[in-house]
Amino acid sequence: MKRLAEGLKNGLMTFLGLVFLSPIVLMVFTSMKPESEVLNPESAIPKHWTLGNFQHVLGWSEEAPFVRWLLNSVFVSTSTTLLVLTFSSMAAYAITRLKVPGGGVFLGIIVGAMMIPGQLFLVPVYLLLSKLHWLDTPAALIVPATAGGFGVFMLSQFMRSVPESLEEAAILDGCTTLGVFANVVLPLCGPAVATLGIFTFIGSWNDFLGPLVFMDSVRDYTLPVGIALYQASYYTQYGLTLATAVLGTVPLIIVFLLFQRYIVESMSSTGLKD
Amino acid sequence: MTFNRRRSLTGLLFLAPYAISFVTFIVLPIIVAAYLSVMQFDLTAKGSIHYVGLQNFKEAWADQYFWSGIKATLSFVILMVPSMLVFALGTAIGLNAMSRGRNAVRALLFLPGLLNVAVTAILWGWFYDGTFGLFNFLLKKVGIGEVHWLSEKALAMPSIVVMTLWWTMGGTAIVLLAALQQIPRHIIEAAALDGAGKWAMFRKIVFPLLTPVLLFVVITNTIGAFQVFGQPFLLTKGGPELATRGLVQYIYETAFNNYRMGYGAAMSWMLFAIIAVFALLQYRLLRRSVA
Repeated sequence: MKRLAEGLKNGLMTFLGLVFLSPIVLMVFTSMKPESEVLNPESAIPKHWTLGNFQHVLGWSEEAPFVRWLLNSVFVSTSTTLLVLTFSSMAAYAITRLKVPGGGVFLGIIVGAMMIPGQLFLVPVYLLLSKLHWLDTPAALIVPATAGGFGVFMLSQFMRSVPESLEEAAILDGCTTLGVFANVVLPLCGPAVATLGIFTFIGSWNDFLGPLVFMDSVRDYTLPVGIALYQASYYTQYGLTLATAVLGTVPLIIVFLLFQRYIVESMSSTGLKD
Repeated sequence: MTFNRRRSLTGLLFLAPYAISFVTFIVLPIIVAAYLSVMQFDLTAKGSIHYVGLQNFKEAWADQYFWSGIKATLSFVILMVPSMLVFALGTAIGLNAMSRGRNAVRALLFLPGLLNVAVTAILWGWFYDGTFGLFNFLLKKVGIGEVHWLSEKALAMPSIVVMTLWWTMGGTAIVLLAALQQIPRHIIEAAALDGAGKWAMFRKIVFPLLTPVLLFVVITNTIGAFQVFGQPFLLTKGGPELATRGLVQYIYETAFNNYRMGYGAAMSWMLFAIIAVFALLQYRLLRRSVA
């Protein structure tokens, strides 16, 4: 009876997962169909498999340097993620554990600022970046992204639930503040940090408005803007459009799978589980 | 120097990098935006920037499109946030209860969140399409006629909500799952030894321990929902009859299509005020439910 209930639970959740997956499978299949089959839903699986759409997209051209956009995106998203994780975790630690005077108020202000609609910042940040001569450089996409409050808010909420006794024990053992932070608190919040890392990378990778407004030359675009530019000129060719979409998503899937493993590892190594 | 003094001084050093970034890229732009909202600043007529006081705010109050934007945004928020919360919490609990394959299913649920909004809209635009769409194709197979998912006023916003749930539910479920897994096992075991039933365990132990993260999830989802823009913008262009043109889209069109920066900034402030009221209410209510 217990095994049946367990099997039912596993089966139900697996089914839910497959339902969520199916649109993406359809997207991949459709990108491998010749254009004549694309809009025919009679067969989800292509009758004639082809990589022609991908070949067309990856072919180098000055108007659509797909590989170059890919590299831009990798650089921008990686730098943004590293900076956000460093800044946010340090700030969250200072607020929740080092009891910085006014830390609670500051956190309130950060969360308050999160409610401000993003478009409000667009024009002022544009003016600021042009004063700094950062327009059309990767810095314009990386540095302002570290100011967002999401990471500080999230890590603060998680750090609160780390037992204070563990930290005190480390201090009594002669650990420095930096040591406690890096060796005790961060590993204990491993799942949260990994989750934030995934969110930040994806957010940066998929950011559309930023590169659209702050980047001028086609060479400096990141992938989403590049894809949109591409879509605008090929929008009638659904197969090509979906091929760019698939190519633009694959790097994210790789990063996700890497981080996902890290979430699991960090949880089994904390000693909090089992 | 006392231990606590030294600790909070170190704390300032820890806080500094983020604080500097926050002041430069959030506080400073806010001040500039506040300045813009009381100015008439139209990029079309060069050099025309002058002080108009509260004129922009008064104009919004009397603007029927401002109100239709609020109506569309609210209908998205009211449909989106509760369904997201129930669905994501249920999914997180379900994932936590799995004995095998949890990580694989978690990955599957999260996968849609990797697509960017343009790709998501292209894909679901095809699903929802009236004549060529996948959903109507499947409905026809079982003998139900065409449904106009996106062009019928009552259906357009729910359709956008369903797409958004598919797109973003996994992320919220993962945060809640991480919180569930961070609950020390010995607490659960101790409660089980004391004879706590499943429901009592959830209500008395899991839920209170979950509250800080639940609060985080509710507030960030509400804030996000109030700022909805990409999905309706790409899927319906705000139609039919403005039923899905939220306030952010109207602000965007005001500022970047009609180049009325001052008016756009003023309406952004009004949206902010609405969001702040909602977030504060949620904070109060949830905080009280634990205490």
